[in-house]
Amino acid sequence: MLKLTQRLAFLSLVVAFSVLIVPAARTQEPATQDLAQVLRTLSQQIQDIKKEHAAAIQAMQREIDALKAQLQQQTAQTAPPAADTSVPAAPIAPITPATPAVSRDEDEQQLYAAIKSSAAAMLPATPVPGVDLDASVIIDGFYHYDNHKLGVSHLKNSLAGFSHAHDHDDAGHDHEHSVIEDGFNLRHLELGLSAAVDPYFTAWTTLAFDDHASEVEEAVIQSSSLPWGLTLSAGKIKSGIGRMNRQHSHNWDFFDQPLVYDAFFGDHGLTDKGLQLTWLAPTPFYVLLGAEAFQGNHETVANYLGSDPFPRHNGPRLWTSFLKVGPQLDDQHALQFGLSYVQGRHQEEEDHDGHTHYFNGYNRIYGADVVYKYDAKRPHGQGDVVLQGEFFHRERNLELLNNGQDYNNSQNGYYLQALYGFKPRWRVGARWEQLGVTNDVHDVHDGKLSYGASNRTSAMLDWKLSEFSLVRMQATQGNFATAHGREEFWEFIMQLQISIGKHAAHDF
Amino acid sequence: MKYPAFLIVAAFLCTALASALARAEAQSIRIVATTTDLADITRAICGDLAVVSSITTGQEDPHALSAKPGFVVSARDADLWVRIGMELEIGWEGPILRDSRNRRIQVGAPGHLDASTNVIRLDVPTQAITRAMGDVHPMGNPHYWLDPLNGRIVAKTIADKLCELYPQHQNAFQQNLRDFQNDLDNHMFGQPLVTRFGGAKLWRFLNDGTIKQLLATADLGAGDGWYGLLEPYAGSHIVTYHRSWIYLLERFNLPVLAEMEPLPGVPPSGRHLAKLAQDMRDKQVRVILQEPFYNRKAADLLAKRSNATVIVHANACAGSAEATSYLAMLDSVIRGLHNALSNDTPQP
Repeated sequence: MLKLTQRLAFLSLVVAFSVLIVPAARTQEPATQDLAQVLRTLSQQIQDIKKEHAAAIQAMQREIDALKAQLQQQTAQTAPPAADTSVPAAPIAPITPATPAVSRDEDEQQLYAAIKSSAAAMLPATPVPGVDLDASVIIDGFYHYDNHKLGVSHLKNSLAGFSHAHDHDDAGHDHEHSVIEDGFNLRHLELGLSAAVDPYFTAWTTLAFDDHASEVEEAVIQSSSLPWGLTLSAGKIKSGIGRMNRQHSHNWDFFDQPLVYDAFFGDHGLTDKGLQLTWLAPTPFYVLLGAEAFQGNHETVANYLGSDPFPRHNGPRLWTSFLKVGPQLDDQHALQFGLSYVQGRHQEEEDHDGHTHYFNGYNRIYGADVVYKYDAKRPHGQGDVVLQGEFFHRERNLELLNNGQDYNNSQNGYYLQALYGFKPRWRVGARWEQLGVTNDVHDVHDGKLSYGASNRTSAMLDWKLSEFSLVRMQATQGNFATAHGREEFWEFIMQLQISIGKHAAHDF
Repeated sequence: MKYPAFLIVAAFLCTALASALARAEAQSIRIVATTTDLADITRAICGDLAVVSSITTGQEDPHALSAKPGFVVSARDADLWVRIGMELEIGWEGPILRDSRNRRIQVGAPGHLDASTNVIRLDVPTQAITRAMGDVHPMGNPHYWLDPLNGRIVAKTIADKLCELYPQHQNAFQQNLRDFQNDLDNHMFGQPLVTRFGGAKLWRFLNDGTIKQLLATADLGAGDGWYGLLEPYAGSHIVTYHRSWIYLLERFNLPVLAEMEPLPGVPPSGRHLAKLAQDMRDKQVRVILQEPFYNRKAADLLAKRSNATVIVHANACAGSAEATSYLAMLDSVIRGLHNALSNDTPQP
C-alpha cells in the first residue's frame, strides 16, 4: 500500500517534494530491485532538476535585479509578475548548500593563497638561469688488443674491393678515427653545445678534438617554427639516412661502427655541409620523409677533385632521400623501418707505376634498415631487447677519363645485432656482419674481379653505472678478404666512456 | 635523369602536403599528458570534451623512458601537452616535442602546461648540487603528485589552462573541477567532515598543521577518509626504495627514515642495507614501501633483518590492477600503509 502511494507520488513528482521523499524511501527499505532502480533514476533526475532549477532561479534573479533597476529609473507603478514576488530581493544563493557555497569559494581562495605563500618561501633564493646553453663533454678512452701482426685498423683499410677509396691524397683530413694502437687509446673528445636560438631556430654543434686535430662533426641550424610538419636544417649535418648514421660514437651500442659504414660512409658516417628538409606525415602512424642536398665533399660517397682533367661541378653534388615508418604497436613494443637513397658525384685518381688514372662518375647507395625495441618496463633497462639490422648496396659507375670506358662496381654489406638487458644497467650484445656479399669490382688492369666477403662477429658486455658513465667490453673475431688474401684476427676492447655537463636527450 | 630520387621525393612531398592540408581537423580537443596521473586528472576535468592520452603507462620508471616513434605521432596532433615538470621528463620530452613539429605545444607556447607551476615542492636543493649526489633534481623532488593536495592543485592548474584555451567550455571545466575536488576531499577526509567544513578549509588547516584544532570544534573525529585512516599512526617511520614517496608520507606525517638506495638512482648496497636494518630496529620501523618495477629482493632481505613488512604499490595510475585512477592509486597505497601499520605481527 505504502509502495503504491510512493510510486504514485514519484510519478507526479514535484521538485519541492523530492528532497523529502528520497530519504523517506530509504528508511522504508523498499523490497524490490525495481524500486531501488526507479529510486536511483529518480534521484538522478532530481539532482538534474535541482541544478537546472538553481540555474533558472539565478537567471530569474538577474532579470529581477535588472527590472528593479529599470523600475527605479522609470518610477512607473507596474506590478512585478506574481510568481516572482515570492522570491526575496536579496542576492539569492543556489538552493543546495545555501550560504556555505560562498564561504567555500573563499576557503578555496584562502587555501591557494596559503599554498602560494608557503611555496614561495621554499623556493631557492637564486633565480633560474635565463639562457639555456647546454654544454657537454664526452670522454671516451679504451684499451685495445688484437692478435694480427699488422693491426686490425690496417686490415680495415685494405679490404679487397674497398681499399681504392683510400688511395687518393688524404691531405687536409688529419682527423682519423681508425688508427688504433694496441694499448691505451683515447677516442676523440666530443664537445656538444645546443640551445634554442630564437623562436624560429634551434642550433647545436658537436666538435671533435684529439691530440692532432679538431673537427666540426656537426653544426646544425634547425627551424623550429615551420608549419605542416616540416623541418628545415642547414649547416654541417649528419645525414638522416640509415639507422646509425645520425648517432655519434658515444651513442653506439658497440665499441665500433659496422664495417659497411666504415667502407661506404667512412669514419664519421655520411656528414656534409648542406640542407635537409624532413616532413612528418599526418598519418595515424609514424612516417618521416626526408631529402638532403649536400655540397659533396665526402671521400667515399662524393669525392670531388675538380681540377684538370676532372670536370668541374658546382655543389650540391650529393643528394639523399630517406623514409622512416614506425607502425603503432602497443606500449611495450616499438618498430621502425627505413629506406634510404644516396647519390653523389664521385671523382677518383689512381696511381699505377708512374701513370695516373682519372675516374669520374656517380655513386648510388640503396639502404634498408629495421629496428625493433622491446621495453620490459623494468628499471634501468632490465629485460629490454633491441634487434637491429641495416643493409646497404652501392653501385659505383665511373668513367675512365681520356678513355671513355665505363667502370662499374657493385658492392654491398649488412649487419644484424641484438642487445639484451640481463640485469638493471647491464647489457649483452651480439653482432654479425658481412661486407662484400656482392663484391664485383671492375679494375683498369685486371678487368672484372669478384672478391669475397669480409665477416666479423662481435660480442659486447656493457654496464651503465649511471646515466653518465659506461664501462664496455667487446670481443671481436674477424675474417677479412684483403688484397693479400684472407686474414683472420681476434680483437679485445675495454672501454670507459663518461659524459659531463648537460647533454641533449637522445631520440629513438 | 640526373636526380631521379630527388624528383620522386619532391613529387611525393607535394601530394602528401596537399593531403595534409586537406585533412579535416578533428572536432574534440586532443591532450597528451606525460604521465597516467596527469592524464587521469585531465580526463576528470574535460569529461567528454577532450581525448586524453599519456606517454607513460604507469608501469615504468618515468625518469628513464625509451623514446618511441609513436610518441611523436601523439604529440604531433596534440592541442595541449601537460607535463609533470621539475625535470622528471628531461630524458625524453625534448626529442618528442622537437620531432613532433607541433608549434602549439612547444615549451613556452600556450598549449604547453607544466603542472608543477603551483604545487607544493619538497627537497628543493638549498645549495649547489653535483651528480656525485646521484639523481638529485635541481628543481626539487618531482614526485609531487603523490601528495593528494598537490593533485587537487594540479586539477585547478589544468582547469585554469583549459578555461584559458577554451573559454566556451568554461562552465563545464569548472563544474568538473568542483566535482573532482569534492571527490578527492571526500576520499581524504570522509564525507561528514567535508559536509561540515568544506574541503578547502580542511586542506588549509591540514597544510598549516592546525587541523586538530579545527576538528575539535566538531564532534566528528578524524573522519573516515585517508586522513582518519593514517592519523593514528602519525610519527611512524617508513623506509622506501627510492625517494619517490616523500610527498605522500609527509602529508600523513609518516617520516621517511631512509631510502634503500644509498643515493637517488644508485642501487642498494649490502653495507647500506646492513646499516639501515640496524636503524630500522632502533626506530621500530614496520613498513618498507616500494614500487612494483623495482626488484623486491633487497626489500625482502631488509624486512627479514628488521621485522618490517614489505608493501609494493604503484606510484602511478594504471601501475597496478588496483590503481584504476589517480584516486584509486592513492587509495590503494594508503590502505596498504594502514594495513601494514595496524598489523602488529609482521607478515611472512
